Amino acid sequence: MTLRLEVPTDFGFTEEHSLLRGEVRRFLGERLPIAELRRQVDAGTRLDRGLWKEIAQLGWVGLVLPERFGGAGLGWLHLAILMEEMGRHLAPGPFLGSLLAGIALERAGDDAQRERWLPAIAGGETIATLALVEPGGAFEADAIAATADPVDGGFVLRGRKTHVVGGADAALVVAAFREPSGRASLFVVEGPAAGVSIEDEVSIDPTRPTARVAFDGVRVGADARLAGDGATALAETLVRGCAALAAEQVGGAESVLQITRQYAIDRKQFDRQIGFFQAVKYPIVDMMCGVELARSLACGAAAALDAGTPSADVHARMAKALAGDVYAQAVRKGVQLHGGYGFTWDCDVHLYFRRALWSRPMLGDAIHHRRRLAGALFGDGDA
Amino acid sequence: MARPEEETESRENAEFRRQARAWIQANQPADPGFKLPQSFLEVESEQQFTYLREWQRKVYDAGYLGLDWPSEYGGHSDPHKRQRIVSQELNRAGAPFMVNVIGLQWAGPTILAYGTEEQKKKYLKNILSGEDIWCQGFSEPGAGSDLAGLQATATPNGDGWIVTGHKVWTTLAHFAKWMILLARTDQSAHKYAGISYFLFPMDAPGVTVQPLVKMTGEGGFNQVIFDQAPMPKDALLGQLGQGWQIAMTTLTFERGAAEGTGGGSATPTAESVRAVASLAKRMRRDGRPAADDPVIRDRLVQLWIDEEALRLTGQRARVAGLNADDRPLATRLMNKLVYSELGQRMTEFACEVLGPDAGLWLGDPSAPDKAEWPRAYMNSFGVTIGGGTSEVQRNIIGERVLGLPKTK
Repeated sequence: MTLRLEVPTDFGFTEEHSLLRGEVRRFLGERLPIAELRRQVDAGTRLDRGLWKEIAQLGWVGLVLPERFGGAGLGWLHLAILMEEMGRHLAPGPFLGSLLAGIALERAGDDAQRERWLPAIAGGETIATLALVEPGGAFEADAIAATADPVDGGFVLRGRKTHVVGGADAALVVAAFREPSGRASLFVVEGPAAGVSIEDEVSIDPTRPTARVAFDGVRVGADARLAGDGATALAETLVRGCAALAAEQVGGAESVLQITRQYAIDRKQFDRQIGFFQAVKYPIVDMMCGVELARSLACGAAAALDAGTPSADVHARMAKALAGDVYAQAVRKGVQLHGGYGFTWDCDVHLYFRRALWSRPMLGDAIHHRRRLAGALFGDGDA
Repeated sequence: MARPEEETESRENAEFRRQARAWIQANQPADPGFKLPQSFLEVESEQQFTYLREWQRKVYDAGYLGLDWPSEYGGHSDPHKRQRIVSQELNRAGAPFMVNVIGLQWAGPTILAYGTEEQKKKYLKNILSGEDIWCQGFSEPGAGSDLAGLQATATPNGDGWIVTGHKVWTTLAHFAKWMILLARTDQSAHKYAGISYFLFPMDAPGVTVQPLVKMTGEGGFNQVIFDQAPMPKDALLGQLGQGWQIAMTTLTFERGAAEGTGGGSATPTAESVRAVASLAKRMRRDGRPAADDPVIRDRLVQLWIDEEALRLTGQRARVAGLNADDRPLATRLMNKLVYSELGQRMTEFACEVLGPDAGLWLGDPSAPDKAEWPRAYMNSFGVTIGGGTSEVQRNIIGERVLGLPKTK
């Protein structure tokens, strides 16, 4: 097979992208300094409705959704920039769920379905989520066990989904179910619906609450089934989700790099700044190299999606694989290089540590994506 | 296989790329039947050297070298800066490297930056054509990573200078007509301030070139002894005492951290993962193709991801808005460190793919790919050590890019 890895020479970067980055930075810098995030974590805040409303008004939730469905109609590189900045700030709340649900709905829905649900998702009035992972960890279309059985004028849904982002706050859930024909389809379930039970999980990352969602014979209408092929739409959503999540991981790893770098300059031992010692300096340099490499793939995947090049799925898997590992390495070294302080609740690094641990397997970890990429490299399978 | 750059470039550049590719295909020299060096670090024989120099001359005569250099010095003043495209196509075709690498990539751009009009006119065209081969006299037995500790001296004598000292790791010195030379011109000045930069004629009396043997057993690598060797007044490049600053410019080119070289490429990087993938399909492990082994597959994909990430980082380095505001140089300065270590991991992994055949060396009739892989693995240390070791690179990035406290 011929494998083409193509990204536009300039990544399609324009002044518009700079403006968005500036706007996001300004807002998050003022609204969400680390002290405010810690206040929310300590208070056990699951959903800051004020913050959610502001983010929705800025157009971020519908950033990549078409304008005619209430979105901002911007591209994937815009989203990568937004996600990177949000990752730096560990932006809390149900954003990722609404983002993925919106993408899945846009991919799989017909115009009537898009018209019906997307504007409220883009505007933030409806908090939505994509229930992706099943018990056992499977999330790609070929492994879905949840079922949709046709009944008069609709379907009955059965199955369980876990690690559902913002599940307890979501008024709309998009999820994949397998029909008797074997075909996977995406369904929209609007809550509260009979037979749906949602139970909070204790997320390792308090800034990203998750839930278990059970569908015990949930009756939905025929129009709850999104029109497009579920497997295709899910795959397209995963590619876009991987690109976005990779960018968020790059942002998080960048923050850990900055925090650790500053500590190596401020902290003194043996009458010297500890960053003088090469045993401290070199891991920080390697952290930076990792962040820059992962950033190139995250931007590359987004630019390939914008340009519609066929290698976007390869780049997205590469980006998610590398960014997940780079983030994990950054928090591991980040804690270690802070010494005893790094082991405390007071040191901010553990907040990123939690996000890194949470997001690494989400939408597939490096082991998962590398197995799929091997087929493309050796020419004996698809990515 | 992949043609990463072509699809998204301008029609004009894409057409240029097609022309270059066609020309290389039609003119690439045949396998000479004798062992070719893997890189410019091991050009041993007159036979190898002549073969490579003729190839460079041919590429230059066809108009594919010096594109980015001014036409008054033998270049083409190409407004589109398309030398990069030629280098990519040469790599892709697996064409022999440009033997005058030190002239094209290090000495030439440095002379362009600091030379007088006369120096530019005198040296640059012959660098491109391969007429004058260059070598580099920076390192000394006692001054490797601590380059500024160098002890060679240039003493004023009448209308010129007298050089005394000892340089090592001087690749191509046995074929070179000129050397970029760092020598101390002021013993009383500060370590860095007392160094000057010279363009030294290798045919001067008092110069002895002795071969050093690399860990692969190959030569091509030398030491040069200067015993009261004279050079003329105009051998000085830039100002007296400006040597350290100019040397840093040379090293920036050497490490691939700046654009504007005369062409060619110092290290093979393109498509190396694909070469190892092809090797894995040919080698067997436990009675099956090594390419079926899930561990082999996973490890090679890791290297593939890193290779593609590095390629895109080079591309992103040219898009200012996608580089961190507080460290705009990061993506350029990390290049040498990352590509040299990646090349080392890649060739070491290829030796693992070889299985027991990794134990077969140059000359064994059964050695897969004529033992190029273990040879390449050994040669990869020339890249992680030469031009500033990986350790020196980490110091530079830590201090200059991240602002960490200085080690020295």
